[in-house]
Amino acid sequence: MSSTTTSDNIDKGAGPVAPGERQDVAQLKTKFGPAIRSIELDAADEPVVYIAPDRNTEILQYLRDEQGYDMLRDVTGLDWGGGRPIQVVYELWASERRLPLRVKAEVPPSNPRLQTAFGIWHAANWLEREAYDMFGVKFDGHPDLRRILMPENYEEGYPLRKDFPLRGRFTRAEQTRRALARDLEDIYSLEELAVASRETRTAPRGLGVTAEIPTDVPDLEAKHMILNIGPQHPATHGVLRLVVELDGETIVKCTPHIGYLHTGFEKLSEYRTWNQVIPLTDRMDYLAPMIYNIGYALGVEKLLGLEVTPRCKVIRVICMELNRIFSHLIWIGTTAIDIGAFTPFLYTFEERERIYNLHEAYTGARMTTSVSRIGGMMADVPPGWLDAVRYFIETFPNTLDEVERLLSQNAIWIGRTQGVGVMGAAEATNAGLCGPNLRASGVPYDVRKDNPYLEYETYDFDVPIGEYGDVYDRYLVRMEEMRQSVRIIEQALDRVPDGPINVKDDRVILPPKSRVMNSIDGMIAHFKLVMEGLKVPAGETWYSVESSKGELGFYLVSDGGPKPVRCRYRGPSFMNMSNLPALVKGELVADIIAVNASIDIVLGEIDR
Amino acid sequence: MAKGDQDPGGAGTTRVETEIPRNWIIARLDDLVNWARRGSLWPMPFGTACCAIEMMATAASKYDMARYGMERMGYTPRQADVMLVAGRVAYKMAPVMRRIWDQMPQPKWCLSMGACASTGGVFDTYTMVQGIDTIVPVDVYVPGCPPRPEQLLYGLLMIQEKIRGESFKDPRPRAEGPEDVAKPQLSPEDVELVASPFGNSTFQNRVSGLESSSPILRPGDRKE
Ligand code: SF4
Repeated sequence: MSSTTTSDNIDKGAGPVAPGERQDVAQLKTKFGPAIRSIELDAADEPVVYIAPDRNTEILQYLRDEQGYDMLRDVTGLDWGGGRPIQVVYELWASERRLPLRVKAEVPPSNPRLQTAFGIWHAANWLEREAYDMFGVKFDGHPDLRRILMPENYEEGYPLRKDFPLRGRFTRAEQTRRALARDLEDIYSLEELAVASRETRTAPRGLGVTAEIPTDVPDLEAKHMILNIGPQHPATHGVLRLVVELDGETIVKCTPHIGYLHTGFEKLSEYRTWNQVIPLTDRMDYLAPMIYNIGYALGVEKLLGLEVTPRCKVIRVICMELNRIFSHLIWIGTTAIDIGAFTPFLYTFEERERIYNLHEAYTGARMTTSVSRIGGMMADVPPGWLDAVRYFIETFPNTLDEVERLLSQNAIWIGRTQGVGVMGAAEATNAGLCGPNLRASGVPYDVRKDNPYLEYETYDFDVPIGEYGDVYDRYLVRMEEMRQSVRIIEQALDRVPDGPINVKDDRVILPPKSRVMNSIDGMIAHFKLVMEGLKVPAGETWYSVESSKGELGFYLVSDGGPKPVRCRYRGPSFMNMSNLPALVKGELVADIIAVNASIDIVLGEIDR
Repeated sequence: MAKGDQDPGGAGTTRVETEIPRNWIIARLDDLVNWARRGSLWPMPFGTACCAIEMMATAASKYDMARYGMERMGYTPRQADVMLVAGRVAYKMAPVMRRIWDQMPQPKWCLSMGACASTGGVFDTYTMVQGIDTIVPVDVYVPGCPPRPEQLLYGLLMIQEKIRGESFKDPRPRAEGPEDVAKPQLSPEDVELVASPFGNSTFQNRVSGLESSSPILRPGDRKE
C-alpha cells in the first residue's frame, strides 16, 4: 500500500478562454481542419468539439495517442427531438493534464451510424451498447452490439428518443402479456446456446454399452459447459445474471446480462422538474443515497452558475463522506458473506444502523434521503446532529479494527482473495474501471483530488492505492478509504461555519414562510417557484463526483425550460461491471463470486 | 368424547378419560395445521432494489425476523412458503418472478414490499410492472418507500393472521393448475385498470384476486 497526497493547484491552462483557445483544441483544429465542425463552450467553460461523424475514430485515436486523453468517461446520446440530428457524446479525460474534453458527433436519426471506439478504449464496449439500446445508434465494428438494458427482442423502439412516450408504445396489458410470453431460455445469446448444445458426441469407444445410451443425452466429454447464475441469486447482489462458459472449473468466458432492474430513470427525469429529480437520484444508488443527491444538485448548480453557502458546502462534505462509509460497510459485510465469513456482516450492520439513525434524524428517511435541494439542503441539520456524527466517527473505527482483525490476517480470506481477479493499471484505465477498483490497480485517480468539488482540496486526506489490483487490494483500499473518510469528517466538523444553509436567491430556493405570508414579493417568489419551477439557463455540463463506487458523472442538458432535456447518469458500477468478464477470465468458478463481490456493484445504478 | 355412564364397557371409558389430560390434545384440524404453517413461514426473498436493503436490515441483528419463525431465508423457491417481493420489478424481470412463484409449492403466500412492487411507485415508465399483482396473487401489501423493518415485520404478522383464518376445506386460495403457469394473474382489462394513474392504489382489493377466507384482523386487535 502506498499513497499520494497531491492536492496542489490544478493547472487548467489560462482559466476561462474563448472557443478554440485551449491549446490542445487549437492543435486539434489545425490537424483535422474541416473535420472539426465547430467548437463551443459549455456551462463550465469547457470545450465541446463537434466532429465529422465519418472521421470519429481517427480523431479519437489522435486524442488518445497524441494528447493524452487516456480515459473514456462516457459515451452517450442526446436527442433534441423534431427530427434534429442525434448527438453522440464522448466524454474524455486526460489524467496527466487533468483536463476534460467533450467530443460530439451528429448523426441523422433515420440512420444513425458511427464507427466504434472499442478499439481505442475498451470502456466503450458497454457504453456504446447502451447508446444503441437507448438511441438506436449503430456502432460499426462493435464486437457485440446487442441491446443491453431492454430485452433483446424489445420491439417498442429506442426509449430515450424524444418521440418515444414515457409509458412505452404498447398498452400495459400488451406489455405484460409480452413479458410473460417470453421464454426464459430465449434470453441466452445465440453463441451461448451454441455452446450448450454443441454436438460433441463421437463414435462409441468400445465399452460395449453404447446401445443403452440414449442419443439425446449430452456427452459427459462435452468440452465446455454453460452455467447460469441469477438473475435471482443471493450472491449476485441484486438482479444480475451471469452466464458462464466453463471448461471443467475454469472460466472460459463470462457474460453478464443486466437490465433486470431497468427503471427508466433517465427518461423519467426528462418529465420532472429539476428539483423533482432529486428523489429519483437516491433510488439509483440506495447504498450511498446522499452522494447521488448532492452530486446531482452540484451539477444543476453548475448549470445555474450558483455557488452554495459555506455552511452548506461543509455539511455536504460530511454527508457524502458518511455515505461513503455507509456504502463500504455494506460492501464489506456482503462480500465477507459471499466468501464464507458471516460475522463481519453482523458487525457492519450494527454500524450501518447507526448511520441509518443519523439519516433519519436529519431527513426523516432511513435510506431514501433526498437530502439536497438545488441551492442548498432540504433543511439545516437538526440540533445535536453534528455531535451525533462526531460520536459516531469517534467510536466507529473500533468496529473497523475488529473487522480488520477478523479478515486481514485470516488465512481463508487471504487464500480466497489474493491473486484473484487481477487487472493491471494500464488496462484498468483503458477499460474504464473506476473508484476503489481502479485505485487498487495502482492508478491514483480520485475525483476529489483530480478535479475537486466542494473544496475538497482544502481537506487533508490520502488516497490509498493498491499494488496488485486483486480482490485483496480492493478490500484494503476500501478499508483505508473508510479511515480517510473519518479523517475528512473530523476536519469538516471542526470547521462547520455558522450562517444560512441555503442560498438567498428567490429564483432557486423557496423564501421562508414568514416572508411568504407577510410580504407580496415573498408570495410572488413562492408562487413562481412552485407553479413554474426552477428555470435553468440553456446549456449543458458534465459534473463528476467521487461516489463510493467510483466516478459518478452527471451530464445535464437544459434548454432553458423548467425540465431537463437530458439527464445522463454515468454510474460507476456500470463501468466496473463491464469489466467483470476480463477480471474473471481464467479463474475458477468459485472465484467469480469473490470477484463480483469485490468490485462493489449496485444494480439500481447499473440498470438505472 | 361423550361421557359413558350407561356404557357397559365402563372400565374402558374411564381409562380413556384419564388418559386425555395426560397425552391428548383435542383441536380442530384447521387450527392445528394453521398453527404449524404460521409458526414456520420460510421466506423466499425476491429482493431487487432499495427495498431489499431494508429487507436485509430486517433479517440482520437489530430487527431479527427469525423471532417470528422466519428463521431460514429460503433461497430456493422449492423450499419456501412466502415470497417477499421487495423492490422494483421491470418487465424484463417479470417472467423470472412468475417462474419463481410457479416453482413454489403450495401452500404459499406472497408479500409485496414497498410502493414499487405494489403499484409501480413513482416509476410509471416504459419498463416497470405497475404492481406485481398483475403477475402473481398478492396477500399483503406493505406500503412505504422503503417500508421500515417494523412495517415489514408487521406485514409478515398479517400474513400469519391471514393463515389463522384459512380453512382446510376451502380450496380456493390454493387453487392452481398447470394451465396457470407463466400466465398473468389478471385479465388484460384489469391490467389496464390497475396500471392507470393511481389505479393500483385504488383498485387493489378489487382485483388482487385473492379473497380472504375470513376478515383479517390487525395483529394488535386480536382477542385471545
Ligand atoms: S418502493 Fe421505494 S425504496 Fe422500495 S424499491 Fe421502490 S423506490 Fe426503492
